[in-house]
Amino acid sequence: MIYGKIWTVVNPAVGIPVFLGAVAVTSFAVHLSLVSETTWIKAYHNGGAGKAAMVAAPAAPAAEAPKK
Amino acid sequence: MADEKVGPTGLTVAESEEIHRHLIQGTQIFGMIAAFAHLLAYIYSPWLK
Repeated sequence: MIYGKIWTVVNPAVGIPVFLGAVAVTSFAVHLSLVSETTWIKAYHNGGAGKAAMVAAPAAPAAEAPKK
Repeated sequence: MADEKVGPTGLTVAESEEIHRHLIQGTQIFGMIAAFAHLLAYIYSPWLK
């Protein structure tokens, strides 16, 4: 097993919380940056975007049809 | 015996490998749940669309 002997030199009481904490902090940072830096997550959470898209979608082909 | 060798933490190689096996299994289960959650987010949210 690769790296299986690590816990003979790293105390698991320290290493495992550091490992799990690093995963949690990284995951939280990525999701926080998505919520704060993008516009579509806020719009999605506010709702109504799907309805607007569904209303707009059928109208688009109808508008394009006469051009052809 | 190599497995009875005790490291600086006081754990034997066998004990260390047992801990590591559980840690890897937990990581794999976490990864599968996360992959499933991302699949649901991809299907049901405007993500990447």
